[in-house]
Amino acid sequence: MKRITIIILACLMATMAAMAQSGLNINRLFDGRYKKAAGATEIIVTGSQAREFGLTVYHSVSVTDKTQAEIIESLVVKDGAQAIDKEVEYRNGQLYYGFYTMPKSKRSNRYIFFLNQNLARKSPKNIVTLIYMEGGASADKIKKLIRK
Amino acid sequence: MKKSQHIGSQAELEALIERYFEGMTTLEQEDALRQCLAHCPWSSETIDEAQMVMGYFAAHGAHRQRQDGRGMRQRVVGIAATIAVILAVGGYALWHQQQPGDVCIAYVNGRVVSGNDQVKALVGADLDRLNDATGAMANQLSTLGEALEIDNE
Repeated sequence: MKRITIIILACLMATMAAMAQSGLNINRLFDGRYKKAAGATEIIVTGSQAREFGLTVYHSVSVTDKTQAEIIESLVVKDGAQAIDKEVEYRNGQLYYGFYTMPKSKRSNRYIFFLNQNLARKSPKNIVTLIYMEGGASADKIKKLIRK
Repeated sequence: MKKSQHIGSQAELEALIERYFEGMTTLEQEDALRQCLAHCPWSSETIDEAQMVMGYFAAHGAHRQRQDGRGMRQRVVGIAATIAVILAVGGYALWHQQQPGDVCIAYVNGRVVSGNDQVKALVGADLDRLNDATGAMANQLSTLGEALEIDNE
């Protein structure tokens, strides 16, 4: 009887694990709010097109609205607290650049990039960029992709 | 009732139940177990579970054939296997559903951009902006390094 109970419990746990969502705070920003917003760009690339970059998901948002920039930064910082590896730079108490390696989800590597170009020293621009990448690519491969 | 005399304590009964579900019992032990489950006064989680599974046979145990006992165990294992398969298939379907399909789209100032090349160009622009920032950071570090070197000379 114990064995049967163990088998059923194991199957239930596997199903629950499959149901688990990635659980990132920045997911709230990908609810479609920027698709019709002026001064915003949202890019979604998944499947075969994303595989060209060694990814399964590429999702980014760029905004020029400073109030939105603050919201994005706060959510990125929240997720950043859970990161297993991070490279960040603050300027004037604000996050300028962040590259976060998040814990894996469904065996996929997950990365979050944040850049607030308002804080750039050379030719600042009113653009805040958030990028979420997911896939098998390592952090080094992602960095190479950026430096191409 | 004769055979139930072999089981003298609750601990012995529970041990025999464990052995039964592991398929380690003899025909005589199984008969004794059925008799005991039908008539012995002890109660515990293990005994209750065994009574649930073997209840029918306990009531009629003395008259049952060994094949019936096997059939019951096979049925229990069959039900467990069916549940396991259903859960596994359900889990896989859910996982498969969550895998992203082919999407390559962008929204710029509320305007849809759907050409793969155009979207990739936008991705390239994203990455260029990051490259500029990481490049600036690398320059900063390099400048700091040079400054320290000069300072140490």
